[in-house]
Amino acid sequence: MTKHGLVIDQERCIGCQACAVSCKQENNVPMGQFWNRVLTEGGEKMDTPSGGYPEDGGSGSLDMQYQPTACQHCENAPCVKVCPVNATYTRDDGIVEIDYDKCIGCRYCMAACPYNARVFNWDEPEHMPEEGTGDVEARPQGVVEKCTFCSHRVDEGLDPACVVNCPADARIFGDLDDESSTVSKYIDKYETDQLLEDRGTDPNTYYISGEMSPGRPQTSDKMESELDDVSPWSDGDDDVPSKEADSAGGESSGSSHSVEGGEIPYATPAKSGGDD
Amino acid sequence: MTDGKAYRRDVLKAGGAAAALGVGGGGFLQTLVESEEDQPSTSGIESFVGQNDVVQTVCSPNCRGKCPIDVHVRDGQVKKIEPHPPEDEQYKRACVLGLSHTQRVYDPTRLKYPMKRADWSPDKPNPQGRGPDAEFERVSWDEALDLVADKMQSLKADHGAESVLFHEGSGNYGQSGKSFKRLASLFGATQSAWGIDTNVGRGFNRVTGVGAFLPPTNEAEDWENANTIIVWGSDILSSQFQMDASKILDAIENGAKLVVVDPVYTTTASKADLWLPVEPGKDVHLALAMMHTVFEDETYDEDFLRKRTTAPALIRKDTGELLKASDVFEDGGENQVVAVERGSGSPVALEPETGGAYALFGEFTVDGVACETALTRLRDHVADYAPEKVAETTGVDAENIRTAIRWLATRGPGGIAPSYALGRYKHGHIFGQAYAMLMGMTGDYGRHGNIHAHHSGGATLAAGDWASPSDADPGPSLTFPEYPDAMIDGDPHKIRAVYSIESNMMGNQFPDRQRFREAIRSLEMYVVADMHHTDTVQHADIILPVPHWFEQEDICSGWGSHPHLGYRHKVQEPMWEAKDDYYAIRGLAERFGYGDRFPETKRDLLRKFAGRDDDIDFDTLFEQGTQKKESVPIVKYTDAFPTETGRIKMYDDEAPSEEGVTFDVPRPLEDRTADDYEKADEYPLMFMQKHSRFRIHSQYEMLNWVREINPEPQLDIHPKDAKARGIDDGEYVRVYNDRGEMVVKAKYNDAFQPGLVNTDQGWWSRDFVEGHLQDLTHNEVSEVGQTMAFYDVRVAVESAPDDVDTDKYGSDNPRGSGAKATPTGGD
Repeated sequence: MTKHGLVIDQERCIGCQACAVSCKQENNVPMGQFWNRVLTEGGEKMDTPSGGYPEDGGSGSLDMQYQPTACQHCENAPCVKVCPVNATYTRDDGIVEIDYDKCIGCRYCMAACPYNARVFNWDEPEHMPEEGTGDVEARPQGVVEKCTFCSHRVDEGLDPACVVNCPADARIFGDLDDESSTVSKYIDKYETDQLLEDRGTDPNTYYISGEMSPGRPQTSDKMESELDDVSPWSDGDDDVPSKEADSAGGESSGSSHSVEGGEIPYATPAKSGGDD
Repeated sequence: MTDGKAYRRDVLKAGGAAAALGVGGGGFLQTLVESEEDQPSTSGIESFVGQNDVVQTVCSPNCRGKCPIDVHVRDGQVKKIEPHPPEDEQYKRACVLGLSHTQRVYDPTRLKYPMKRADWSPDKPNPQGRGPDAEFERVSWDEALDLVADKMQSLKADHGAESVLFHEGSGNYGQSGKSFKRLASLFGATQSAWGIDTNVGRGFNRVTGVGAFLPPTNEAEDWENANTIIVWGSDILSSQFQMDASKILDAIENGAKLVVVDPVYTTTASKADLWLPVEPGKDVHLALAMMHTVFEDETYDEDFLRKRTTAPALIRKDTGELLKASDVFEDGGENQVVAVERGSGSPVALEPETGGAYALFGEFTVDGVACETALTRLRDHVADYAPEKVAETTGVDAENIRTAIRWLATRGPGGIAPSYALGRYKHGHIFGQAYAMLMGMTGDYGRHGNIHAHHSGGATLAAGDWASPSDADPGPSLTFPEYPDAMIDGDPHKIRAVYSIESNMMGNQFPDRQRFREAIRSLEMYVVADMHHTDTVQHADIILPVPHWFEQEDICSGWGSHPHLGYRHKVQEPMWEAKDDYYAIRGLAERFGYGDRFPETKRDLLRKFAGRDDDIDFDTLFEQGTQKKESVPIVKYTDAFPTETGRIKMYDDEAPSEEGVTFDVPRPLEDRTADDYEKADEYPLMFMQKHSRFRIHSQYEMLNWVREINPEPQLDIHPKDAKARGIDDGEYVRVYNDRGEMVVKAKYNDAFQPGLVNTDQGWWSRDFVEGHLQDLTHNEVSEVGQTMAFYDVRVAVESAPDDVDTDKYGSDNPRGSGAKATPTGGD
């Protein structure tokens, strides 16, 4: 079987928003909505740290990290369970999708999703340019929408747009059921977290923190499974720093990705949840 | 690339429709489809993937990207942008801005037709009509070019050709500038000379013989070999290197130590092993403390200093001049300096790139002249800059200063990646001198893993003397900071007309905006060519509409970015009546009688340019879309330095002085950051204008996707500074000094050092509630640096007056000015 999953290396993520915007472009996401938000773990607002400015000239307590957040494509997805019309479903390859023709706009799924990953088209969706962008048909007013792992690309053997367009190589997509895939190897070798692990949702999205990985290995827009030379990783583990190796740098903040208080951090500029 | 005939036809037809209707505003795209049957049908389509025509082209602003991109076109419309790996695929790149051209290409701020200010005529320029309330009327291209040519000719006859200024900005990395300069040279016009971001490079150049903006540095692909990277005053992962972020991240992943020196806890600082929170303007002190540490630890690279620097050269104690070989040896050179050989104690003339048993330290008497080595002089100079003492000046912990430089000095090859920000302080050139010498001490030149600037060199197209043909009699040049005096007072000579391309500078990006507006008002003719209706365009007399990059064929240089040239294929024909700058340049040349000096078509011109560059084959570049320039060295500084001695100068006996300070060795000199600056109490906060990830200068201001993330200008302020003034988070504040004011929203931000506030640069007038950030900056430059000092600015901050109108950011207008487009030419 195939189970698609995403690894996001937060040590590599530079908060540049390329994933957030290319998601909107690729998926024709309406103005005012984001399927993929780059949240700041730190202060209350985007691009602000937690902690205080050092008064003694030392490095102080300031801390900041970015947490790109979209649908986590949970193995045990609460949105699938609560949908009264089976509009939200899990594909055989693990991708959680919505059948927009079936969606009745009840928004139970939005209440059930602990990741604030879904948005609702309260109004007639607007696009700029008006005719829309990207490779996905626009969704109508009155339905809930969200990240699909770019299933329309995956079906064609292409990585999701956010993965291809990341200049920091911080997003790695692949088959979690394949032990030789880069995503599986990274989850094995690096400290990874799933968001809100205690909720039992078992997301197929993993976040690396602490020690930095080498990131996405291929420059191609193709999925790893489509490439002959699967990745530089298949040649051996020489390049893979072990967990025991000295930290390669990149200050390990020690902060948890399990979002404190059971809430996904609020992102000021992005409309979260779709009810505004 | 694909054939693309179908969509080109569609867009041509559609453009005609839009032109005929003269439609503007947010909904104009509707007019791009003529009839119902042309409406893109989506019914029954399961996937659009693979349904697009894809054109490989290049994104071309003055950033560190020059990203080759694929533009996907469907039903005659640009639908999305994706990165296209260049010939050397490791330089695959893109950013949030380049990926958003889908919105920019159709933005209502695009200029459509040549325009003339309604109340301007060549004989009655009516200068007071310029500005926000100016009205424009549509003219034909021929009328526009006739007006410009006639006025320039009459000014030339009456006042000399130098009364016309050809001003070129950095807004397009194609080759237009070369033809623009060629025309200026043939006409004899005054030409613009750069006055932004040239400070640090000047200082570095004095030491090494190279460096104009920032000095050359190893190409990005080599950065992963660095063991220590000191990023100095740069949010490199947001503003300069984000397209190459993977290269720095790979270095970190390989085990490099990342040090960030910055008064702001930036995204880059958040990735650092060590952050040095220096106070603004104190960087030279910090560099001298690092030199002090290297001397204290004796971790300097002795072999390098002997072989490639003037460290062992003797300074005459009587005159302070370097002892010359011609003073000592009969056949000694006048530019050769002299060292003393250890053991024998005999003098020896220093050759470039030649090591020897030269004494690095000590006092010697040669032919009765008392001397000491340059390194001795430097060591004595920095003796006053012990880290503990400098900690008090700079605000940086002494032990952290030592740790940072110990990493660079002892962990193998590495480098210092300084920014343009350091040069945005008035005397920023001194830092350039200081770190060039510091890296000489650590021996970090010419090795893999060395870094000397916060962006790499990249490739440019060599076009020989095209810009300045040998038979031309070019006019004088004028630096940016000199513009206002020249236009207003005729100093050094009167500028009466300006022809501006690729620039939103005079109306938006230059400091002391009110004085620049006065300068514009003193002109008889202001011609502005641009893609968008910018603040600068609003002040023009003649507006020449330039197409979006996707509508202009060109060869894009990878300067400052990566070692490729890119071919910017047209994605679609120019919309409305927009025309390539080359059309106007050649049109004016014809009217001046130089038409035969300019090939008829852009393609011919580009082919000619490529033919002048031995490394480029036009057909290969055209077909591949990119070509790596193999002559670009990956590792720099491997040969003798282009100084008089062929060596890095560790002492400069011909150093310039300013304000009574001589820079024989780096000596701190500050302007508004100085503790005793006279107006420090009146304007207690330093004000910088950081480059953000959301702009390239003032480009991309109109992107609606980006404006959802970053909706309006803000003032980053430490909560302590805000609370002391009774300012709440999110409240509108008035920021002011003796030049002007602006009103923006306060953003509490603990990343900012108390005493330092910031508004990201690149906002247009329409984005501010009141004023503009450039109303606060000044145009005073240092004698040596000749560089605009945007960050060397003081302000005061208070709550905005109650009656200030902030409706543009009210709930009815959640996307800020994006929802209210500036009226465009032709509406």
